[in-house]
This record gives sequence, C-alpha cells and structure tokens, in this order.
Amino acid sequence: MKPLAFTNQAAQQLYNQYIDRCRKVVRLLPRAEQTECLMEVNSYIFEYVSSRSQADESASLVAILDRLGPPEVTLKEVVAAKKVDQAVRTFNPKHVALALLLNFRNGIAYVILAVLSLFLLCFPALIVLKLIYPADTGYFRSEHRNDFGFIGIRGAGQTEVLGWWFIPLMLVLGALCYGLIVLLLRLVRRK
Amino acid sequence: MKSEFLINWHSQLRKGLLPLFVLMVLQEKENYGYELIQNLQTRFAIDVAEGTLYPLLIRLQKEGLLTSTWVEQVSGIPRKYYVITPVGQQTLHEMRAYMDSLKSINQNEQ
Repeated sequence: MKPLAFTNQAAQQLYNQYIDRCRKVVRLLPRAEQTECLMEVNSYIFEYVSSRSQADESASLVAILDRLGPPEVTLKEVVAAKKVDQAVRTFNPKHVALALLLNFRNGIAYVILAVLSLFLLCFPALIVLKLIYPADTGYFRSEHRNDFGFIGIRGAGQTEVLGWWFIPLMLVLGALCYGLIVLLLRLVRRK
Repeated sequence: MKSEFLINWHSQLRKGLLPLFVLMVLQEKENYGYELIQNLQTRFAIDVAEGTLYPLLIRLQKEGLLTSTWVEQVSGIPRKYYVITPVGQQTLHEMRAYMDSLKSINQNEQ
C-alpha cells in the first residue's frame, strides 16, 4: 500500500496513527487480505481529501477519519466475516478458533459453536485420562446405570465395556465434532 | 415540522433501503467507493458515511451481488470499482418488486 503524504505534519501524524490502528485490527487476516483492507481505507481517505483540495488538509483528514469511524468498529465486522471465510476454506483449527472468538457476539449459532468447541476439548482430555487412569475412564455399564468419561466413584456392578477401543472412539467423535463445527460455520457464513 | 419520531423513522428507513439504493446506482454504472457516496447523495439525498458503506459493500460482495476490481490511477492510489453481478441484478429486480407490492398495499389502505 502506498501511504499518503501530507504537507501538514500534524495531519501526517494523525493519518499514520489511524493506519497503524487499522493494521492492528486486520493483523489476524492473511497478508493479502490485510493489504486489501488497508488499501481500501487508504483510498477512501485519499479520495475525500483530494476532492476538498481547497479546504484545509487537516480539517479534511479529521472529517474523513470521523466518517470512517474507529478502525476497531468499522473493520471489526469486515475482519470477523473474512476470518470465517478463512476458517471454512482452510479447516485450520487456529483460524476456526479465531473465527469463533471474533463472531461470538453474532448470535446463538455461535453460542452453539462455542459449546461444540468445549465438547471438542473434552475428547483429547479423555484420551489422556484413559492412558493415565485406564480403569477409571471409559464407558461403564450396569443393569440400572450408564456412565461415560472419567468416573472416580462407580455405581454397584458397573463394568467398563470399551477397553482400549475407548481411545479410537474419542478420536472419531472428536473428528465428527470438529467437522460439525466447520459445517456450521459454513452455514452461518451463508446467512 | 417533522416530529422527532418521523425524523428517526425516515433515518431508519433510509438505512434499511441502503442496499437497494447501492444496487440501483451500480446497475447503471460501476462506481468506486467515494463516487458511490456522491451518487447516493445526489440521487437519494442520503449522506452515507464511508464507515457505513465499506462494511455494506463487503457484505454485498460476500453475498455475490457485487464484484470488485482495483484500477491503478495516475495519483498512484488505486481505486476499487464495484460492479453489480447477474445475481445482484436478479436480487435488485426482486427487491424492486417487493417495494412495488408495499406501495400497492399502501395505496389500497388509503
């Protein structure tokens, strides 16, 4: 992005600070999309100030920055939407987590997604517990009761039925849960 | 003199109709951001701030109603031109049909 040059030092500083704030907001995006966002903001500023060449440079700059609004607000929606796109495109867990975090306030769908994500954390934890406490972790059945997970105090007559198959089952459930999260993100994106 | 309620209502109505107005302008000709703001002001007497228009254009683009292209300028600062897509044209047609139906309802009620 070609930065703008102002003759007035105070205007130049104000512009630099605004662009720096924009850079911070968009830093979660891939490099190409960061540049795209910054170029668009830069273009709005340039066109507005250029169209008011008769006016004071600083006053025009202040006016357009006011019209653009705080980058933390204006670019927030743009970044959140682009992050969801990135998450469903790449299936990368890091991008999925960031997309969820950025969009958490965007409605019940994301609350459901957040709950699913908590479930997702449980599966690897249960695998680790199975390795450390094999007798206390698994699927426990008796005539009157079923328990699943890490069970410190078992009911009378309960026996663990899965054995070491518990671990591949957790892997499969974890993969299904993760796939569900990404599919749900895609559905929400279409809305 | 308009009551405060009517002033607020007009403002909310114009905000709600903004996607329609944007598509109507772009149906005639591709526009870059600042140009679009000027055309919205001239044609529909609404002053849209860049901070409002930019996220809206991104949303419309995500929906497949617009595409965009960067065009280099002599100044060295490129302009991003927005163009309506066939899906955008179809959507605009449906939006206009809906507005016509609202107008009919209003006329019938009077």
